Amino acid sequence: MALKDIKSKIQATERTHKVTRAMQAVSAVKMRKTQQTALEGRPYAHAALSILARLSGSRALSAHPLTQARDVKRVALVIITSDKGLAGSVNSSVIKSAVEALAESLPREEVAVYAFGKKGEEYFARRGYNIVMSFENKRDDVPRSVVKRFTKDLTESFVEGKYDEVLVAYSRFCSTFEQVPTVHRLLPLSLESIKFLVEDIVPGKGKWSDLSPLSSPPHYVVEAKYTNVLDSLIPRLVSTSLYHLLLESKASEHSARMVAMKNASDKSKEVTSDLTRRYNKARQSVITREVSEIVGGREALAS
Amino acid sequence: MAKPFHLTIARIGENIFDDEAVKLELPGTEGMMTVLANHEPFISELSMGEARFEAVDGKSYHVPVRDGGMVEISNNQATVLL
Repeated sequence: MALKDIKSKIQATERTHKVTRAMQAVSAVKMRKTQQTALEGRPYAHAALSILARLSGSRALSAHPLTQARDVKRVALVIITSDKGLAGSVNSSVIKSAVEALAESLPREEVAVYAFGKKGEEYFARRGYNIVMSFENKRDDVPRSVVKRFTKDLTESFVEGKYDEVLVAYSRFCSTFEQVPTVHRLLPLSLESIKFLVEDIVPGKGKWSDLSPLSSPPHYVVEAKYTNVLDSLIPRLVSTSLYHLLLESKASEHSARMVAMKNASDKSKEVTSDLTRRYNKARQSVITREVSEIVGGREALAS
Repeated sequence: MAKPFHLTIARIGENIFDDEAVKLELPGTEGMMTVLANHEPFISELSMGEARFEAVDGKSYHVPVRDGGMVEISNNQATVLL
């Protein structure tokens, strides 16, 4: 390769390095912010959960329409992915695990897809699935209105019997370096699954890993009826879970992107130093050649 | 001075208030109710209206209750979910 080509290649690689490094820094900040938001949402989830835990012994809960398990004939799938790529394998692995969970049971026509994030939507739309609702996953926070609409539609359809099960495919955030694609059953609701979610929202290690235990309050006086309270409580729990799943996916996306961009930055640095070495070698060989030509010419003249 | 109790008012993904308070008024499904310290354990739905509470420093606050909510009280701790 000519000297000039190598030089321009070095410059291009350095530019890429700058971009990837910036993206890495931005993702790191966003990841931290998402974790913070997830943490701020926890008192709500905790409170809702402890109320449910207290009511879990009651007959009203096991008779509530949203907790009824039925034979699964029709499924709603909520697929949570990002809008943008360059985030390693998060999206593809979430989609893969969703498809695996579905393939066990059902033909395509029986699956209704709720997509949050373009990547998942595109995938399922291309394969002829029925997309009921789709939202872009562009903003850094999770808009409450979206959570509300999801919850309303899902719970109502579940009670009407349009779906027998609601699954959510998302990317579980374990740590910055580990995201596990997970399929979670949102409806019919069970106490264990929600407990799992609430406790799961905090990473296993690190700054935010402390967890206050769930307190089980004493006996309650209930105004109106248990069923009314449950009617209001359970949809709230569903939306809290959804909200947390969305946040977790966000945190996963950002951390995966951060790691991917870190790898890219490291690689571009390596490429730059390789190219620089080649550049120096090429330059040196040009100089050596010129010197030897001069020396050779002089010797030819002298003899 | 009235005895304080812990009050948490939260919306999904947002903590509105989390501190000591002395008095809380809520639009219950069966009319307005007032909560003071050491209330008995209690659960209720909320209907639309406005929640008012007085913090321990004497300041009072108003929070709109737009689409219902829940209140749970136990161990001198009131939790309002909007």
